[in-house]
Amino acid sequence: MRKIFSSRAVVTIIIAFILIVGLIAGSNWWAKRTNTPPFLQRFGNDLAGGVSRIISVPTAAVGRTANSIGNLVDTFEENRELKSKIDEFAQDKVRLQTVEEENKSLKNQLKLKATLTDYKTVSAVTISRSPTTWQSQLVINKGLKSGLKKGMPVLSGAGIIGRISEVNTTNSKVALISDTSEDANRFAITIKGDNGDVNGIVTSFNREKNQLIMGQVTSENKIKSGDLVETSGLGGVIPSGLYVGKVSSVTKDDYGLSKRINIQPAADLGNITTVVVAVSEIGE
Amino acid sequence: MAFWQLTRLRVVYPVVLVFLLFVDGSIMASMSGIFTVFPWYVLPTLTLSWLFYGVQFDADKDMPFWVYVLLIGVLFDMYYTGIFGTYTLAFGAAVAVMKQLHKLLDERLLSGISVYFLGIVVYLVVAYVAGFIIGIANISLTHFFLFEMLPTITLNTVIVAVCYYPILSLFQFSR
Repeated sequence: MRKIFSSRAVVTIIIAFILIVGLIAGSNWWAKRTNTPPFLQRFGNDLAGGVSRIISVPTAAVGRTANSIGNLVDTFEENRELKSKIDEFAQDKVRLQTVEEENKSLKNQLKLKATLTDYKTVSAVTISRSPTTWQSQLVINKGLKSGLKKGMPVLSGAGIIGRISEVNTTNSKVALISDTSEDANRFAITIKGDNGDVNGIVTSFNREKNQLIMGQVTSENKIKSGDLVETSGLGGVIPSGLYVGKVSSVTKDDYGLSKRINIQPAADLGNITTVVVAVSEIGE
Repeated sequence: MAFWQLTRLRVVYPVVLVFLLFVDGSIMASMSGIFTVFPWYVLPTLTLSWLFYGVQFDADKDMPFWVYVLLIGVLFDMYYTGIFGTYTLAFGAAVAVMKQLHKLLDERLLSGISVYFLGIVVYLVVAYVAGFIIGIANISLTHFFLFEMLPTITLNTVIVAVCYYPILSLFQFSR
């Protein structure tokens, strides 16, 4: 029988395989440990970000046009629905302003500095998005220079979309919540139930159902679908009160011992053109 | 070097390769409203398509082709994922498969498409398996196949087929 592989080829393939697996696992481990990538990688990424920025101008224009055409189709229905909501929001806004002022003066009286709900925002534009199966990341046009740090939460439209996973000098990467890597979506959340809050952390994301999962919940407080979910601020980096989404269903975990809460994220993970990074004011 | 030499394939090819790497990301960002509508997940793979044209139209004989494949893989990993090795291997494996297959087939459109088809399958599968190695894979093989691989291959194969003859004449012009 003719040999397909010589023994030398087999040995080379095995060694190459081990090397590559080591490289993938090693660089993944290293990326998790460090706050900013090594100088050479950062320099390369800054350079690449510059090129990306230029290229994204025409493609973004094309994408915007395509989206506008798509949106045009259901504009009429949407407009009618939104009009009915506007009055409600105006009232909420007035109330919010009053409460905010009251809150500020009460904080002053108590001589409280920044609390968990205080944060500044840095807005940024998406210049690129990884065309990859895993590690779905956005590249945004703000970096170390704008005071961004790894782990900060990123919002777009209705709610939280991810966290900063890598900071270069003039751009940074945002790991989306749809990504299962640990730095993307393990943040502390709280669910506003009818008879008290339920605290916990996001444990994973179900990409097949497009839902965040909060596992290992043992609280007896009643949670029903439609309850609002927001960040709890525990852990420090992420301020509290950022909108995450709504509870879509509550199930038992595999062993039937604790609850698993499925959350429909509020933010649309497709179509992210501008983002807002929330910078906590605690510890400043 | 005279100015006309800048239109030579060995200059044009790597420049376009790097350019397309960024175009892929820009398309993904600007068209994500269409490409990533749940449950679909379509990836633009223009960089791989350009590598395929290089293999199919024998551009690899005029230049250090493997060096370009390696460099573009490293750049891709560095800029898009931050994890080295995955796409370096994916591009390398896809090009190796396409090269072997190209030896057996001719330059007709249909042969070209079959070469590209296998190349992109290898490319996507390597990336999928790499996700398992570092434990970030969160979709099943069926879901991956139906909602990601199938539309990605369809879209990109159509693009490759449409651009096949224009690119062939570009290669002949600049050779």
